[in-house]
Amino acid sequence: MEKQQNALQVTDLNVAVKTAKGALPLVQNLKLDLKPGKVLGLVGESGSGKTVTCMALLQLLNSKSMSVEGSIQLRGQELNGLKQKEMRKVLGKEIGFIMQNPMNAFTPVYTIGNQFVETIRTHTNLTKKQAIDLAVSSLESMNLKEPSKLMKMYPFQLSGGMLQRVMIAISMCLRPSVVIADEPTTALDVTNQLQVLRELDRLRTECGTSILLISHDLGVISELADDVAVMRNGRIIEKADVFQLFDHPKHEYTKKLLQARPALPMNEPLRKLVI
Amino acid sequence: MSLLEVKQVTHTYGSLRSFWRPQKEAQVLSDVSLSLEQGTCMGLIGTSGAGKSTLGKVILGLEKPKEGQVLFQGQDLYAMNSKVRKQMRRDLQVVFQDSYSSVNPRLTAEKIIGEPLDNYERLSASEQKRTIAELLEQVGLSAEDMQKFPGQFSGGQLQRISIARAIALKPKMIVLDESVSSLDMVNQTNILKLLDDLKSEYGLSYLFITHDIRAAYAISDVLTVMEKGRIVETYNNKDEVFTSSEPAVKDLVASILPEHPRNRTVSNGKRVVQV
Repeated sequence: MEKQQNALQVTDLNVAVKTAKGALPLVQNLKLDLKPGKVLGLVGESGSGKTVTCMALLQLLNSKSMSVEGSIQLRGQELNGLKQKEMRKVLGKEIGFIMQNPMNAFTPVYTIGNQFVETIRTHTNLTKKQAIDLAVSSLESMNLKEPSKLMKMYPFQLSGGMLQRVMIAISMCLRPSVVIADEPTTALDVTNQLQVLRELDRLRTECGTSILLISHDLGVISELADDVAVMRNGRIIEKADVFQLFDHPKHEYTKKLLQARPALPMNEPLRKLVI
Repeated sequence: MSLLEVKQVTHTYGSLRSFWRPQKEAQVLSDVSLSLEQGTCMGLIGTSGAGKSTLGKVILGLEKPKEGQVLFQGQDLYAMNSKVRKQMRRDLQVVFQDSYSSVNPRLTAEKIIGEPLDNYERLSASEQKRTIAELLEQVGLSAEDMQKFPGQFSGGQLQRISIARAIALKPKMIVLDESVSSLDMVNQTNILKLLDDLKSEYGLSYLFITHDIRAAYAISDVLTVMEKGRIVETYNNKDEVFTSSEPAVKDLVASILPEHPRNRTVSNGKRVVQV
């Protein structure tokens, strides 16, 4: 039988920034494969190259100051080296992107509905009315109350958690095969964080979307990820199943990361009692 | 006598008074009372919008509450003459969440940490330099970092500089408003450890404002939970927070992310495999 095709396959990705003193490598020999419907967690401390990797995957880096080498294949289609015009067709439709800070990701002068419909109509032939209907129904599926009222609101009228869910709704409404979530919950408080993670999990089970989940928070990773890649200094130092990684970390650095979290005296029975 | 006493503080934010529309007022703090002893750390937790940061500002003397009193060392913060206030400022310091916006980007680390010393201590140039070097080393940086500008530091390092500035005058109390929330796990743990060491060294008191129960639990002696401008409960024994029957507290505790994927709650049943 033919091996199931990966949703996103990255091989030998090298990213370097061009400086006056020559090229400075930021990401080296990165290999990732994202299976359909799975969540791959990418962990590492700040400055380890997580965000640069995701920008490189999306081809959002400035080609004048950065060089991106290697192969990025989205369901067999090579993304690296695509012209900007071609890439724009892929972004939003094939790859969804959820940014870290929802407050900065929207244009403050347009309504949510305006920005939502714009995304939908760029990639499909839907009429404005159909696009609005699609937007309302995807907002509804995000457990947002009164979606049609929400469409007329401006980004600053919503809280961070709500905006983040709107952003997930926008990135998910065209059913992309891959969603890249760069620290999706870091700017949110704990209750919103759990809600957003639940929505992400629901969408990947319902739509079979693969998610690349970038986070420094091992709690987020242990909650959602199937596989984990640990990154440090621009390289992947360990890649394993999430259970294996938490139970038997191989690399010293992974062990250090796992121990870094302040422990809570919450044993399992207590936790169950709470929920 | 407690170091800090907040007595029935009520505060509202209102829209600008206008001829065209009635003034709207939102109550952000209602009847908040708490007291903090010398040498203890109080963790103030709650979801976003609960009024934690407003309470922090009121305690710092930056936001005059509509009603109620704030007593620092027995004196009312908002009814003291300028001479007493200057002395009080020395003993009450703050570290904010966003370290980049709380330092002047055009000053070197030396100038940043030297600013409170310039204002209060009359040190000779060489003495001042030595004090700053000592402070830098105390927070885990080296004396050579003195000549660097904020842009040359990472977020964690800059947060250490903010802490060095806060402890420069050996204050009695520091308000830490989400001070570790924007840092990655490893940095968070290091900063928490540093804060704990400083606390025992100088007998400092902290008001640790956060939405992260894990961090609050690690450093605090007393935990207080806020919701919608009110204090829900104060726990002198911080373990009690996990068994509380208050719905607001229960919600918060239930949102803590698990330490191990086997305790995950978000994922769907079929993927949860015991290893």
